Amino acid sequence: MRSTLKFSFFAKGAAFPLCWLGILIFVSLLFPMYCFGRIYIDINAPAIRKFNIAITDFKNLSRNNEHQELVKDMPGVISNDLDCSGYFTPMDKEAFLEDSDPASTLEDIRFKDWSVIGAELLLKGNYTCIGRNVEVEIRLFDVFWGRQILGKRVLGDISSYRHLMHRLSNDVIQTLTGQAGIFLTKLVFVGNASGHKEVYVCDYDGHNVRQKTSDKSIALLPRWSPQGKKIMYNSYKDGGTLLYMQDVSSGVVKQISGRSGLNIGACWSPDGKRVALTLSRKGNPDIFIIDLNGKIIKQVTDHWGIDVSPAFSPDGNKIAFVSNRSGSPQIYLVDLISGTEERLTFEGSYNTSPAWSSLNRIAFVSQDAGHFDIYTMDPNGGRLRRLTEDGGNNEDPCWSPDGRYIMFSSDRKGRYHLYLMNANGLNQRRITFLKGDQTAPSWAP
Amino acid sequence: MGKRMMTGVIVLAFICSSFLLMTSCAKKQIQVSEPVQPATQEMKAEEDKAKAAEEAKSTAEQEAKARAEAERQARLRELKMAQKLADEIRNFEAENIYFAFDRSDLTDESKSVLREKGNWLRANGDYSVNISGNCDERGTAEYNLALGERRAHAAKKFLMGLGISENRLATISYGEEKPVDPGHNDEAWAKNRNDQFTLTK
Repeated sequence: MRSTLKFSFFAKGAAFPLCWLGILIFVSLLFPMYCFGRIYIDINAPAIRKFNIAITDFKNLSRNNEHQELVKDMPGVISNDLDCSGYFTPMDKEAFLEDSDPASTLEDIRFKDWSVIGAELLLKGNYTCIGRNVEVEIRLFDVFWGRQILGKRVLGDISSYRHLMHRLSNDVIQTLTGQAGIFLTKLVFVGNASGHKEVYVCDYDGHNVRQKTSDKSIALLPRWSPQGKKIMYNSYKDGGTLLYMQDVSSGVVKQISGRSGLNIGACWSPDGKRVALTLSRKGNPDIFIIDLNGKIIKQVTDHWGIDVSPAFSPDGNKIAFVSNRSGSPQIYLVDLISGTEERLTFEGSYNTSPAWSSLNRIAFVSQDAGHFDIYTMDPNGGRLRRLTEDGGNNEDPCWSPDGRYIMFSSDRKGRYHLYLMNANGLNQRRITFLKGDQTAPSWAP
Repeated sequence: MGKRMMTGVIVLAFICSSFLLMTSCAKKQIQVSEPVQPATQEMKAEEDKAKAAEEAKSTAEQEAKARAEAERQARLRELKMAQKLADEIRNFEAENIYFAFDRSDLTDESKSVLREKGNWLRANGDYSVNISGNCDERGTAEYNLALGERRAHAAKKFLMGLGISENRLATISYGEEKPVDPGHNDEAWAKNRNDQFTLTK
């Protein structure tokens, strides 16, 4: 209460005397967690201490106890979301002192029972099924201060309850970090469960899988547009490595580039109006920029070596790419305005797959001791950091739209599946549990 | 009474005579279809004719047989030729050339394989060849697609150097997408770094 008051004072901003601002900053330094009302978790901190959160089974308030399974299924989705975020440790329900604490109001909850088992946050919820709809209400409590941080009610179709839960998880993240959550984002990837490589999409958590192509050919390198409406991909369905674009909602497919040779590895510009790719129509693979009708706007590289895997910088003015001009594949940078090129990687003899995040880090894949692993670096090659180690091959890194997570493919369990990790390499977890291999993820907003 | 008997006798006589008449008529009809003797002579002539025809036919048949045999032999030769061509095509298509990791330059062994292929292509001018370049699974799909294309181009350039015209040489890269051996070891990888050749007419 006290801190929300401060927050509202602060919001008045302009008419606020400077000395008061100074005092506020001083106070905020003393109590960083509780100042400015809401920022519990500073996700930009180098090391994030995870919050213990207790999430109870939801209470079914439906008249005839319809859809009793949601008692566990709905909090299960939120628990998994918060676990995936890397900011929380959802607590084991076995540890809860009250199996099904009926209390859901501030006055009735015995916060001591929760703090004694180490819970810092408590999330409770209830739902009411009305026909095909369900109304869900959650409340998030700060156990230490014994206060409610968030109360939220949503209404939607029962069959899409996961979507509703992801919305609520986003609200929790927004409340505690001040940043938007990723729980409603989607992935596109290549799967070969049918015996052919086809394009699939799924929710960020691997659920809700849908097949987007049925070409019975080889589909490769699907890339979701920054606005989320189109998917570019390569397919051999017409005989070569041609580039196609599918409209996500209508499913209509259009050929974008069908030049002889390679038309591969499309990377969307941040504004979604252009695409960088590799063309080899004259025999040598170089990087070009084309528009969405396939017309060449600019030739970016012109070198006898192999130039592939372009990745736009967040401002769209630079492109990181892979070239073997030095004898082995290494990552280079080209400035689209000045045309200057520079080499970024010097360690190891096989560095590929650059992916440039919205927070200006470049993830890439490097071969070391026979295995491929994921690294990140600054766009000048500095602050190199290894993210995966001792777990088979780890490839195809792609960033979440907010630049805080990396999805990648790994064969650490035998076949290739999709895995999620934080940008610092922590909290690696498997996302897809499908037949065959899942590779080449691309993240949609 | 006497008069009545008379008419009865007359009627009877009339009936009898009419019967006689009818039977005699019938006899006559049978006699008409009876002459057999001159027909047997005609048949003999016909038989002779048939024999002659048969003889002619058998000679013709023999000739046809001979022709068929000749044709069969010719077909056999043709088949053998076709078989030989099919074998040659199969051998041509079965023989890949192989590459070192992350390399697209031709080894001496690859060059000698390509020289043989070049000779065959020169001798069979109506065939074109489709060269597909392949990589092992290591590395990215994109880099391997480019590397596979390089490998296909390396063979194409060599064959062009042997005088095979460019329009008979098509290339495609499958990168790491079509491994010959699904294994994940050095042996499998060595097999999967190749150029494959398919002929089209």
